[in-house]
Amino acid sequence: MNRLRLSLSIAIAVTGFARAALAQEVTIGYQGLPYKATGESNTGIQVSEGVLLHVGAGAEAGYDTNVFYAESGTETASPLIRTSVFGDLSNATRTGSVGKVQFDLRAGLTYRRYQSDDVNVQRFSNAWMPTAGVALSTGGGQFGFGLADTFARLEDPPYAETGPVPITRYNNQASIEGRWAPGGGRLTATLRYTNMIDIFSEESGYNYANADSNYLMLDTAWKWLPKTAVFLTAQQGYIFYLNDALATANGKASSFPLVVSTGLRGLLTEKTSGTLALGYTNGFYSGGFSTSGFWGSTYADVSFTLRPTMLSRVVAGYRHDFTNAVIASFSYNETVYASYVQQIAGRLALDISGRYSHRNYQGQFVDMAQADRSDDFIQAGATLDYFIRNWIYFGVGYSILNNSSNVVAVDYLKQQMFVRLGLTY
Amino acid sequence: MVNAKVLLTTTFIASTVFAQGSAPAPLAPPSAGAPADVSVKQRPTLTPEEMVNQSRDYAKSMNEVLKRIQVLQDQAKRDKDIIRLNCVTDKVVQVRVNISIAEQSIASLQEAVTRNDEGERVHEFTRLTIVNQKVQVLGAEAENCIGEDLSFVGATKVDVEIDPNIPQYDPTQPPAPGIDIERPGEASPLTG
Repeated sequence: MNRLRLSLSIAIAVTGFARAALAQEVTIGYQGLPYKATGESNTGIQVSEGVLLHVGAGAEAGYDTNVFYAESGTETASPLIRTSVFGDLSNATRTGSVGKVQFDLRAGLTYRRYQSDDVNVQRFSNAWMPTAGVALSTGGGQFGFGLADTFARLEDPPYAETGPVPITRYNNQASIEGRWAPGGGRLTATLRYTNMIDIFSEESGYNYANADSNYLMLDTAWKWLPKTAVFLTAQQGYIFYLNDALATANGKASSFPLVVSTGLRGLLTEKTSGTLALGYTNGFYSGGFSTSGFWGSTYADVSFTLRPTMLSRVVAGYRHDFTNAVIASFSYNETVYASYVQQIAGRLALDISGRYSHRNYQGQFVDMAQADRSDDFIQAGATLDYFIRNWIYFGVGYSILNNSSNVVAVDYLKQQMFVRLGLTY
Repeated sequence: MVNAKVLLTTTFIASTVFAQGSAPAPLAPPSAGAPADVSVKQRPTLTPEEMVNQSRDYAKSMNEVLKRIQVLQDQAKRDKDIIRLNCVTDKVVQVRVNISIAEQSIASLQEAVTRNDEGERVHEFTRLTIVNQKVQVLGAEAENCIGEDLSFVGATKVDVEIDPNIPQYDPTQPPAPGIDIERPGEASPLTG
């Protein structure tokens, strides 16, 4: 399951920019339309022996309190609808078991429309956001192999309602990995290469940040218990900008981010799992500045997952790291997050999650007036879906994004409320 | 049809008569004062030719028993039933030894008939009869050799019960690849 996690990138597109994956098996923020019934596996069209097709369509109708992510008092609100269709082809069976070779092909299309009389909103009312993904995994014994690729086109209104074009982003993430597990699996080694190409539309104003990110990761783990391991991970990255002149003009510089961490991950008790990681990190920016200091060179990741019952899950975590930034060279991030998922009788699904992130931007800024910018970002989402049958559901959802900064004119509070209805089989 | 019935009836009666052998001479009524003869008559009443023919039948019967046990031995080999194979092989060895003894007795019997040595003839025939009985018993024992079907408890079977609370995926694996993409912050008027 972990190997074939295609849903992340695709769901991001479905829900705008309002989700993030933090812990190993949790996504934070508004959850997109479900593609499978809660607690049900007896769906899917058996296309041929060993090939199962899931299809679905859904619609959300709701209200957006702040279309342009504007400051308080200047918001523009609008009703909106969002519809999506998807198809998923895999060799999983209805009971979930698969052969030694696992594949998953997924494609979807989301259409979002703001229903407003406001002229400025109407200019950005329609957005088409396709997604696609493919994943292949084989092995599972001493040797394993996997590859995956996801593509998403994202479109969101600009910050200024007079802006010329929406923020349109094309994102493709591909990875290939080999796994080696000698000694009956007590020792495991994973070598993975990940590539991400991130391209903004030319008129969006962000195309200076079009980037090609490459990461080579070697993870070694020793399972001292069947599902608990001590690990050592080293990841070396290389990020460079596709439009060199434009990037240089906006203070963007290539970098070689390094993260070396060690710790523990896996089950702590029968119902509790966790990740404890501590390590060294450095951005190695080529522009003469980089992450620095003891805390700035420290990577920390702590997360706990508790499953009180078979139908519920609680996740809480904290992370300290740095990430490459669009509006500056990078930002130090302090993030805490939590998630609660509850299923009731296989029919009702509740998902509540949120995170708080303190972002301290560093390095060269695109707008030097924002030097020393520091943001407090809050993101939360809640959905409640009821499956009338295992192929039809309706529900409600709520999303909130709040940014508070020491820089003027970039604070915003955005809330979205939805009712939703969908079919999935 | 009638002829066949007559033939079967005749054969049955003849066989019965033959099996009973010659009718013993009627015992003389005990006379007063004469001691009674209570000794057991062990001497066979077969003629030398009948003894030779009977010895051939014994030899044929013993070889049939040996063939049957060898079939059982091959069957045990095919089934890889080591317990039954050991048992049957032991019977085969014993039957072969007894057949070897029987062959010697048949040869001695024929020589005794030729020499008209009644004592030797009776001795060899008696020995042959006993050997034949032993072979028949060994054959029955071979048929009753017990294999794994009853005595082998079967391959070791391990039942594992996993707490359903334990996640099915492997939480020790590194996180799946995936880089979060978020809406970029507001950078400058250019982004508006």
